Amino acid sequence: MNSVIFLTIVLLALSSYFFGRKKAILIQSNKRLTALPKFYGYYLAIWCGAPAFLLYALWSIFEPSIVRFFILSDYSSQGLLEGELNLFYEKVKSLSRNQYSGELTAELQRSAEKYLNFRDIAKWSKVVIVLSLLIASTGYAYTKISNNTKTREPVEIFLKGVFFLSSLAAILTTIGIIFSLLFQTIEFFQVIPLFDFVFGMHWYPAKAFVRDASEALDPSMYSDTFGAVPIFAGTFFIALIAMCVAIPIGLLSGIYMAEYASKRLRQYAKPVIEILAGIPTVVYGFFAALTVGPFLKDLGLSLGLEVSAESALAAGGVMGIMIIPFISSLSDDVITSVPQNLRDGSYAMGATKSETIKRVIFPAALPGIVGSILLGVSRAIGETMIVVMASGLAANLTLNPLESTSTITAQIVVILIGDQQFGDPKTQAAFALGLSLFIVTLVLNIVALSVVKKYREKYE
Amino acid sequence: MNKIEAKNVDVYYGAKQALFDINMDIEANKVTALIGPSGCGKSTFLRCLNRMNDVIDICKVSGVVKINDYDINQKDTDVVRLREKVGMIFQKPNPFPKTIYENISYGPEIHGIAQSKSEMDNIVEESLRKAALWEEVKDRIHEPGTGLSGGQQQRLCIARTISIKPEVILMDEPCSALDPIATAQIEELIDELRKEHTIIIVTHSMSQAARVSQNTGFFHLGKLIEVGSTDKIFKNPTQQQTQDYITGRFG
Repeated sequence: MNSVIFLTIVLLALSSYFFGRKKAILIQSNKRLTALPKFYGYYLAIWCGAPAFLLYALWSIFEPSIVRFFILSDYSSQGLLEGELNLFYEKVKSLSRNQYSGELTAELQRSAEKYLNFRDIAKWSKVVIVLSLLIASTGYAYTKISNNTKTREPVEIFLKGVFFLSSLAAILTTIGIIFSLLFQTIEFFQVIPLFDFVFGMHWYPAKAFVRDASEALDPSMYSDTFGAVPIFAGTFFIALIAMCVAIPIGLLSGIYMAEYASKRLRQYAKPVIEILAGIPTVVYGFFAALTVGPFLKDLGLSLGLEVSAESALAAGGVMGIMIIPFISSLSDDVITSVPQNLRDGSYAMGATKSETIKRVIFPAALPGIVGSILLGVSRAIGETMIVVMASGLAANLTLNPLESTSTITAQIVVILIGDQQFGDPKTQAAFALGLSLFIVTLVLNIVALSVVKKYREKYE
Repeated sequence: MNKIEAKNVDVYYGAKQALFDINMDIEANKVTALIGPSGCGKSTFLRCLNRMNDVIDICKVSGVVKINDYDINQKDTDVVRLREKVGMIFQKPNPFPKTIYENISYGPEIHGIAQSKSEMDNIVEESLRKAALWEEVKDRIHEPGTGLSGGQQQRLCIARTISIKPEVILMDEPCSALDPIATAQIEELIDELRKEHTIIIVTHSMSQAARVSQNTGFFHLGKLIEVGSTDKIFKNPTQQQTQDYITGRFG
């Protein structure tokens, strides 16, 4: 039913475009218009579609709670708890859908009939009211159309509103996500002291196994459980390993592509490198877990080293490979966009190609290169799948790349897989980690931007 | 004495021939102007003299270009040494994204000319003085060269070029991006530089060629139509085409 109404509104709005335009063209035959005929079409289409759609949307949002209010108003005097009312209402709804299998009472039956009744009334009155609003507003606008109606301005204002709402939606979503992280995190820190989280040396969320609700809020349950130092250290350590792989290879290949490679080679090689960026991270994950990990373990054995099959080195190394195309492709672009006259100037001084690259092109391209590296770092910190698959899940505090370690993202996965419930500190820990990760990435981005800005001032 | 002798120089961009059998002698310690309408090959010829055409993939040069009686178009010519001897100024000022000091010290550093910091300081000051820029920038030589005005940037590029004491300086329309006052300063500078360097300047402006040069070559459609002393070319050309161009009948 809803989709029928929606489609009707869209179709009517579309056809009113043609009506509006046609009327304008008719007027045009003997009077001068203030705008092109198509604006009259848009004008009528907006007047037809926008009010009806708005009403339809608002109705759909508020209808359920109004119906609920009417159904439950019969029982409001009985002093029932909110939870009991909710339960009752859910029963009424499932009975109305013939999906109720519990005990039937007269009250329940009566309410279910009333519910169906209300839904019916609501449905038809919605159709009637929305359509009559549509007809009224279209008719109003249609009669208003004359040779000197202002149509361009309202259409522009409407479009501006649409753009504004779209950006507002994006911003509000971001703010909403931050706040949901924030509230859960605050609840988490009401049970776990902030100090223990930030400076605690043991991360062992499995220990926070709660048998019943009375234990859940007892801080003594969680001592030495949610110390985030090992996973922060692990995150930065693995990111460091990844960047040790990605920066040199990515940068050098970017420079090669931009400065040395022939046009033909570049034409074929660049897409191949960029394919690396298109491989799903989960594929990198099993490449790390099934190929690189065991290979490093065997290599270690033959050298007499003890290497865990799930090592930070395997995860970080493969992550580095994943990041290579970002750095290589971006720095290639940045280097290519350094003006040719700087190169000419350097060559004309008798500089060799490598001197020119090192002393003129690289400094000129530095802001962009720093930007690409920081982009790579935030990818490394946010990467999940490779770590989950290749570096194990035990949060060891170690600086030995041959041991397994864990990261913030991997621990969020660990916490949220399997049984969990809201209000449980173990679940809330995931939100606290998510917020920390968000803050780290945000700070990184701000630093990246300011670095880029600083160098730009110096070099342009 | 001839500093540069070009014999039978042909240049191709891919399949298109840009220069046809150029033969030209350039005298030492004089300013030689290359004039002609756009696309006539004068800049291409200029770039043959320090092998800057090597930078362009599709460009092929044949013929002999002798500088100090040495053919620079040989396979084993060291272009680094060549460009140390033959500097170049470009149409658009192109200071490096470095400080004024670093812009000048770049050449001496890559060629290992200065042995110490104080020697380098001297080179920088001397080069800036010769380029008539020292008084304007002496208090801010550690600020970015890109912060200077257009005319100052071009003089910075000249200072950068003369820092390694080239024997020849090639100038490719060095004033076309500058205002009249900056142009006058550069022209004055060119006359000064002639004492120590041989200068070849490509210019669109005939009055500039008349003002700054002793010799002039007129190019048209990839051919060198006429070459001789500037006086003769401007007052009494032997070729009809030269006459037409000088008097503004085409170009």
